Amino acid sequence: MAVLGIPILEDKYPVTMDMWPLQAKEFNRIYKFYEHLREGRFTTTRCRTCGHVAYPPRVICPECYSEDLEWIDLPKRGKVLNFTEEVRGVPLGFESPLIHAWIDLGEGSPIKRILSRIINCPVGKLQEGSEVQLVVFEVPSHPIEVKKDTKWVERVFFAFEPVEK
Amino acid sequence: MAAKRNACIIAGGMCKWGVREASLVDMAQEAAKECLEDIPALKPKDIDGFLFATSYAGRCSFQVNTAPVIAERLGLKPTSICARVDVLCAGGSTAILMAKGLVESGMADIVMVAGGEKLYTPQKWEVFYSELASIDHDWDAPNGLGLPPPFFALIAKEHMKHYGTTKEQLAWVSVVNYNYGAENPKAQFQKKLTLEEALGAPPVVPPLTLYDCCPITDGAAAVIIACEEKAKDLTDRPLVYIRGGAQASLHSVSANWPGEHLADWAHLRVAAKRAYEMAKVGPEEVDVAETHDCFSISEVVEVEELGFCKKGEGGSFVESGQTKIGGKIPINTDGGLLSCGHPFGATGIRQGIEIMRQLQGRARFQVEGAEIGLTHNLSGLNVEHTIVIYGREPVK
Repeated sequence: MAVLGIPILEDKYPVTMDMWPLQAKEFNRIYKFYEHLREGRFTTTRCRTCGHVAYPPRVICPECYSEDLEWIDLPKRGKVLNFTEEVRGVPLGFESPLIHAWIDLGEGSPIKRILSRIINCPVGKLQEGSEVQLVVFEVPSHPIEVKKDTKWVERVFFAFEPVEK
Repeated sequence: MAAKRNACIIAGGMCKWGVREASLVDMAQEAAKECLEDIPALKPKDIDGFLFATSYAGRCSFQVNTAPVIAERLGLKPTSICARVDVLCAGGSTAILMAKGLVESGMADIVMVAGGEKLYTPQKWEVFYSELASIDHDWDAPNGLGLPPPFFALIAKEHMKHYGTTKEQLAWVSVVNYNYGAENPKAQFQKKLTLEEALGAPPVVPPLTLYDCCPITDGAAAVIIACEEKAKDLTDRPLVYIRGGAQASLHSVSANWPGEHLADWAHLRVAAKRAYEMAKVGPEEVDVAETHDCFSISEVVEVEELGFCKKGEGGSFVESGQTKIGGKIPINTDGGLLSCGHPFGATGIRQGIEIMRQLQGRARFQVEGAEIGLTHNLSGLNVEHTIVIYGREPVK
């Protein structure tokens, strides 16, 4: 497929224009996060040395700089503390309505609150206090050069959706 | 022990901001020309350091390693430092703080601090899409958090929920700042705004409407930061010293917000405390300020966290006219981001120019007898705050 104005980019994959993370282990030491998403798990890293839980996941502990980390599960359900609904002017790559929520993952969670996107939800449905749950979806795959061949890497990402449909 | 060196801001200029038929390199030249016309005794060859604040050059102009390219166009031959500074929206004020350090340490004598962005590309989608690069690419961009209105709308809803702030109070921020900017020929919008117009504007992300949001802007600005001795040789104007400053970054966007809720900006308080301590002044001594009004709600939170009013009272502070000339502390007297626009790396430099002019007694809306001025920037989705405090006297 041609790129307007730049014929030399025909059939090329420009990573500098890719809005999704590189998830293949060739490019990413936290690729397991995405493998876990495929299993329906929402995970992050905990330090085996000092116990600190970091999100987003790391390859070193930001508290003690230990590399001895393990994967733990985060809650897949949370409660909406506040939210916004963007109907007009939604940027390329997203559909209207683009809904964002500040989500409380509960007292038991090592990560108390996160900011995320809400999908599968019409405008006006979400309320403060609404229960939301993790949802995992496919996003476009991309090529990697492996010697003279091209390997395609499948990808997923996550958002949250209302528990009550 | 040698006497402490002091850094002064002695000249400044900017190009016309807005939708420009010009490249980043063109606009940098226009800004540098106006800056040097502001100080006729200074020649380009006397400038030994150059910092250039830009963030989108890499994406929208396909240009990295920006500083040497632009220095060459400006006829500069820096021998102490020549570097790009990238802290997105706060790059300009961050570069001014870096120049202070370079000058006070003796590494440089006269530094040009410039900044700019070329954001309008041949097709409009690209700058909006490139906004996905301004946040944590792997975690926040895929959530559609690249364009800031949704996040600041969330902050506005939080402020309304916790403090009872009203949409009308937000509108007052825009009305006050637009009416300053209406007289500024460099501003993107020279338009007086009424409360009725502001309240009747089309929605962006509720509760934010059109005039609550700063626009996308092409532009550049430049200032000269010099050691006190050189400054005295170059200008007869009152000297304006960079008394202090600080920058704080405490969290990621997705998680680990440092406050109790999203309208509680603990990271701004941390930066403000350190900046006030370094400058040896308190918020009650600040005569004039430029705060980062990327959105109306931002200024409401900022006047609280900077200590100009009590927490939760930012809305009524602005509504009651405290940020107008004659109020408790005039703010954004050149129009702020809302009216001037926001070419990210240039904004902190524009703010520095306005505060310099205020403290030299030559501002368009002059705060009589202003002795202490403050600039504040935040960057990205509120991940960092930068403060610079200027004064007519150095810190003793």
